[in-house]
Formats: sequence, C-alpha cells, structure tokens
Amino acid sequence: MAHTHQDSALSRDSYILKPELWQRVRNTLAFAALVGWIALGAGFALNRDQFHFSYLVAFAFCISITLGALFYVQVQHLTGSAWSVTVRRLMETLMRTIPAGLILFIPIAFGIHTVYEWSHASAASDPILQQKAAFLNSTGFIVRGFIVLALWSIWAVRLYSLSRKQDASGSLEFTRSSEKWSAPGVLILFLSASLASFDWIMSLDPHWWSTMFGVYFLAGGAVAFMAVLIAVCLGLRSAGYLSDAINEEHYHDLGKWLFALTVFWAYVTFSQYMLIWYGNLPEEGIWYHRRMVGSWSGFMPLMIIGHFIIPFVTLMPRSSKRNLKMLGFFSGWMLVMHYLDLYWQVMPVLHKTGVAFHWIDLAALVALVSTFGLVFWSGLRERPLVPVGDPRLEQCLGFHNA
Amino acid sequence: MADLALDPRAELNPTLVQGDATYAGVTDAISVITESKPPKQWYYAMAVAIPLAGLLFFCLGYLVMNGIGVWGNNSPVGWGWDITNFVWWIGIGHAGTLISAILFLFRQKWRTSINRAAEAMTLFAVACAGIYPLFHTGRPWRAAYWLFPMPNELLGMWQNFRSPLMWDVFAVSTYATVSALFWYVGLVPDLATLRDRAKGLRQQIFGILSLGWRGSARQWKHYELAYLILAGLSTPLVLSVHSIVSFDFATSVIPGWHTTIFPPYFVAGAIFSGFAMVITLMVLARWVYNLQHLITIKHLENMCKVILATGMIVGFAYGTEFFIAWYSANQYEKFAFLNRAFGPYAWAYWSMITCNVISPQFFWFKKVRTSIPAMFILAIFINIGMWFERFVIIATSLHRDFLPSSWGYFSPTWVDIGTFVGTIGLFLTLFLLFLRFLPAIAISEVKGVLHNQLVSNKGGH
Repeated sequence: MAHTHQDSALSRDSYILKPELWQRVRNTLAFAALVGWIALGAGFALNRDQFHFSYLVAFAFCISITLGALFYVQVQHLTGSAWSVTVRRLMETLMRTIPAGLILFIPIAFGIHTVYEWSHASAASDPILQQKAAFLNSTGFIVRGFIVLALWSIWAVRLYSLSRKQDASGSLEFTRSSEKWSAPGVLILFLSASLASFDWIMSLDPHWWSTMFGVYFLAGGAVAFMAVLIAVCLGLRSAGYLSDAINEEHYHDLGKWLFALTVFWAYVTFSQYMLIWYGNLPEEGIWYHRRMVGSWSGFMPLMIIGHFIIPFVTLMPRSSKRNLKMLGFFSGWMLVMHYLDLYWQVMPVLHKTGVAFHWIDLAALVALVSTFGLVFWSGLRERPLVPVGDPRLEQCLGFHNA
Repeated sequence: MADLALDPRAELNPTLVQGDATYAGVTDAISVITESKPPKQWYYAMAVAIPLAGLLFFCLGYLVMNGIGVWGNNSPVGWGWDITNFVWWIGIGHAGTLISAILFLFRQKWRTSINRAAEAMTLFAVACAGIYPLFHTGRPWRAAYWLFPMPNELLGMWQNFRSPLMWDVFAVSTYATVSALFWYVGLVPDLATLRDRAKGLRQQIFGILSLGWRGSARQWKHYELAYLILAGLSTPLVLSVHSIVSFDFATSVIPGWHTTIFPPYFVAGAIFSGFAMVITLMVLARWVYNLQHLITIKHLENMCKVILATGMIVGFAYGTEFFIAWYSANQYEKFAFLNRAFGPYAWAYWSMITCNVISPQFFWFKKVRTSIPAMFILAIFINIGMWFERFVIIATSLHRDFLPSSWGYFSPTWVDIGTFVGTIGLFLTLFLLFLRFLPAIAISEVKGVLHNQLVSNKGGH
C-alpha cells in the first residue's frame, strides 16, 4: 500500500490538470460570469436598491469563504498538520482569490448611501447615530474596507507564494517561513474580519450591536469554506484527479471538520440569540424582531433545522463522514444554508415585511461566485494540485485515521 | 537528504521521548515514583499544603457556625470572592479535558506525557470550585434541596429551571463525572502495570483498582474504543461548562455582564488559565522527579503556544467589549467599561491587563518558550491575571449600582482570604497525594509514542 502512495507522490504529472479539462471548466465559468455580470448590470439599471442589497449578500458569501480558507491555511501551518497536506494547495488557491475582493468591493463602496441607514441625512438628527458618527461614516467605511481587504491580500499572496516556491525546492525554510507569517496572520484575520463584519453587516441595523457578531460571521464562513473545499476535492476526483492523494481517510477528516464547524456555528448562533432573548432588552431584541416579521419568521426554524440539526444528526456517524456521496450532498447543503443565513441577516433591512426573493439575488450570486471561481481556477492552470515540495507530503499520503 | 540532521522529516517530527528510552525504562521511571519514599521536596511541599488545607476547613467551619456574613459580600456587591474563586477554579479545570479529549481528537501526540496529571488537576480544581457555591448556601446540608431539582415539602420550594445557576449545577456535575470516568479509564492499564510490579497488599489494592486488566488484544480494542467515545463526550463539555458559567453573568442585564461574546471568551480564558496551571505544576514535578526525558522542553513549548493563542483570544475579547461599549452609544455600557479601567478598581483592571494581555506576549519568542524559569514566572502571572479577570468582571459591574446611593466597594474579610488560600492548600494536597500514589504520566500512552519513534528510527518498514 505504502509503495503505491509513494509512486504517485513521485509522478508529478498526475497532479497537473490536463489543458483540455482546464479550458472546458474555464469556459463554463467565464460564460457564467458573462451572463451573471450582464444580468447584474441590467439589475443595476432596473432596481438600484435591490442591486446593492443582493450584491452585498453575494459579496459577503464569497469573501467569508475565502476568509475561511485564509484561516485554515494558517492553522495548518501553526499546528504542523500532516493529514491536510494534499488538500492544502486547494485551500491556498481558494485563499489566493482574496485580492479579487479589492475590486469587487467597489460596488459596495458606491452602494453605501442606498444600503446603510447611518449614511442617510436623517442620521444627522439621530442622537445615537451622532455618537457613532466617528465610526459609522462613508469615508471610514471605505478606508477600512480597503485596508482589511489589503491586509488579507498581503497574507494570502505571501503564503501562497511561499508554498509555490517550496514546490520547486522542497526546502524546509518555506515551511518555517509560513509558520512565522501565520501566527500574526491569524490574529490580524480575527481583528480585521470582525471589524469588517461590524461594518458590512452589523451596521445595517445601526442602533444594534453584539460583541459576538464577528465570531458569528467567521464561523459561518468557516463552515462554508469547508463545504467548498469538499466540493472541489470531489469535483476533481470525479474528473479522475487526486483519488489517491485525497482518499477516504482525508475525506473522513474533512467530514469531521464540516461536522465540528457546523456545531461551532450553532454554538455561537445559539449563544448570541439566547443571551439577547434572555436579557429581553428592546434595543437588542429589535434585530431578531425585525428578522421575524411576516415570512421572515420561517428563517430561524430553517436555520436551526437545516444549518444545525440535519447535518449534526446525519454527519455524526463515522460511516457518513466516509461516504463521499453523503459528504458531497452536505457540502452543497451547507453552502445553501450559509447563503440563506447571510440573506436573512441582510435582506430584512430592504424587504421589511417578508421574504421577497428577486432575480437580481441570483444574478449577483452567479456573477460573484463565477468571478471568484475564475480566479480560483486560473490558479490551477499548469500548477500542481498538491504542494509537491512539502516535507510532510509523504506522511500525508500514507495517513490513516485511527 | 544525505545528512540526517538536515532531513526535514526528522526536524518536523521531534522525538517526544528523549534519552536512550526503552519500554522498561519508561515503566520504571514512572512507577518508581509511586513505589519508593518520596524525595524531600515532596515533604516540604506537603508541609505547606496541609496546614493551608486545614485553614480551609477552619474557615468553612467558622462560616457554617456564623453564616455567610463573615464574608465580605454585601449590598451592592452580593457576589464577591466566592464566585470569583469558583470561576477561577472551574477555569483551571479546563486544561485537563482539553488535553485529554480535544488534543486526542486532534491527534496531538505530545499530549501523552501531560494528560494524566492535567486530568487529575482538573478533578481537584473542580472539587475546589464546588466548595464555593455549596458553602455560599450557608447551610450546605440543605444545599441539595436548593441546587438539585428536588421539589420538597421540607423547604416548600421548587427550583427555577430558567436560572443559569441551575444549569451550572448540571454542567459542573456532568463535567466532574465524565472527567473522573475519563481519567479512570485511562488509568486502568497503568494500574495493572503497578499491580504486576507489586507484592502483598499493594498488589491486591492495585489488582482491584485495575479491574482485571490483562492487556489482551481484545481488552485493548475495547479500551481504545471507550477512550475515543469518552473523548467525544468530553469535547462538548469543554465548551459547555464555561459557557454556562458565563451565562450566570451574561443572562442578566447588568452592564459589563450582559454581552454576547461571553461564552467563547470564557472558554478561551479557562483554557488559558488551565494551561498556565499545568505549566506551573509540571515544571515543578518534572524537576523533583527527574522526568525531563518524558516531559520535554518540546511539551512545555507547545503548552506555551497554546497559552499564547488563548491569551490572544482573551485580549481580543477585552478589545471587542471595549469597542462595542463605545459603539453601542449606551451610557450604561460606556460607564461600566470606563469605570472598570479608571474607577476605584483600576488597580485590579490594570493588573488583569498586565498579566493576561501583556505577559503572554513574551511567548512570541522561542527563547522564552523554551526557558523554564521564564515560562514558570509567566504562568504564575497568568494564574494571577485570570483570578483578577473574574474579580474585575464581578466587582466592577456590581459595586456602582444604577443609583449612586447604592454605590459601594468590596473588601474581603480574613475568612474570604483564608478560604481562597485554603482551597489552594487543598488542591496542592490532593495533587501531591496523586503524584505519590498514582502514575503521574500515562505509561501505556508514552510507550505508544515511543513505539512509533523506535520504528521510525530504524527507517520504517
């Protein structure tokens, strides 16, 4: 058994996608992006309010996934993890899409006045918003947005290039360098991502606050990231790639993470809700109150059942974490849940009386996912799908779950 | 890869058992501690610990005779050192389960040399913690009626399930039970080892305690499955216990207490303080018993890294709370935090910041992480800092009530101080007894790590 693994480790060609396959997927993504952006452009012309809100949800959805990738890559370095080496390049390539956020953030900067109540003229006569004006103002919002995206981009680009350099030389110094970058990186990620979540989502209800909100945002992103990672691995597997390098043992661990993160998300979400419900203060409860009006009231039960109970019960047994069909189903399922979770955080501000899905929601999602997807996919062109120079690669290929 | 010293694989998998270790050598090094007379340092430590434990029983007796008025708790600070100490001890107890359960699930092999002692520490810390709510009832012989859901004629009361204090009773007692089971299951193979080395009465006692362990393949299979299941059960407990402790505060509407980040922030703080206590104890134990080859500097360094990580989370939570207190534009929230930092308890607040936020920063440097004196001193600082954290949260939010006429200042009495110092004495006494009579390092698990090491030294297969 060990020998077959070693052989596949040595034949680097199988880790590089065939150009025809790469092009086919690229063309599909490019077509989706084209359709998405044209539709989104039409949406912008037809319904400016809906456009900005839909765009915000899609942007938060994509960027939270890439932040999950940034977090996980750094954690793998900090813990010296061996099991994850063969999936790390895919994580890194996802993480490497963050710089695209710098450009894709621009429509959000232009939408401030449409989306955020604190930017309206009425805010000037609101004594509470007056006190917050030092933070909640358009300039601060834009500057902070670009600063946090730039910070993430620096780390993403740096960690990715260290890993790529190691492909050629196999030198341990790149492992050590990545560890050195990761320790402050995780810290900066936590600080900046929670600040970003306050800006982008929490300030939609500018009177409201919750110290947990940053953790809530990151937890949701981490679940969705793990779901994307599993989906990408399974996709490559079905095309005939990495079936040895990412085998049942690795999927078992990815499944454990999907399960654990789902539980962590539930823990964070429940804690936030329970403490606000128990305190029963109007200024805090208003956030949930607004999200329980009319048909919005269906979302909380949906989240409890769909984002927690169903995956919790189904993914608990060992057999389902080793069942690739099951994992594939839940990676899609959790992504839908993550989108709905963000949708429910943002949209009640626009559609106050009840859920009103709009075609622009779909257009924004298709446009942004396919754009991030294109950046991701371009990172896999003629480059190895696993970090072939990683000193722990051999250990990872022969890894078995206890 | 001709030069072995430059082989990255060797550098990435540092040896966890150092020296010319053999299986017999590991068994001997650990078993002999329980079989021979303890070194003189053990007696010195006992000479300090036992009188302090005695002081605890004296203070508790005095409290029962006179009522809880002998503590400094009074309006407006109705919770004082009692709950501060309770939370502090419960927090310390978290390292054991984290090491034995979560690090086990994460396949962190370095846990094997420290998990046994950390689990024992957990049990003793939880025992110390339990003393405070029990005696805060004033009549501990009736505590069962207040604490457990036993509606009764005697006191005519029905417990309030909506109270997080009630949830705490369930959380802590579940935690204590599962931790004890986990600890004992892990001990069974090692107790059998001691039995096999012993004669006479000692052999009989360890024979009974080791539950008929023969080390057959079937027994190992069951053992490993039981261990895995207990690890799975303990993992949510690591989060739940301190989350529920945080609910004791956060479900109220008191500014400074009612904040949604409390549950994960308390859990991180608990692990932070627990690891600091493990370092404090293990540095001393490995020195007294010459266990440097089993509890290596690599183990200690890893613990320092965990402290750094959890310390940063705690600092992150302090920062978030402060920022949101301003952002909320709520005058009561703002006051609570400004009062914390610049009010009458500023001395406690800045002690907390120094110990909890500044001192772990030294662990960014490998030199500090691998220096025994430095980590020992920093761990002591963190132990102190985490006590201050709970005190700051409790006292500063209570001492200035909404009405300025209800402002006060908490001062501990000698009974408060005696009880707190006394629980440290009880904790140390129990820990020293554990070191004396039970295998302080998991012999069978260290041998498992040693096995991998010996196999890979031979070049694998």
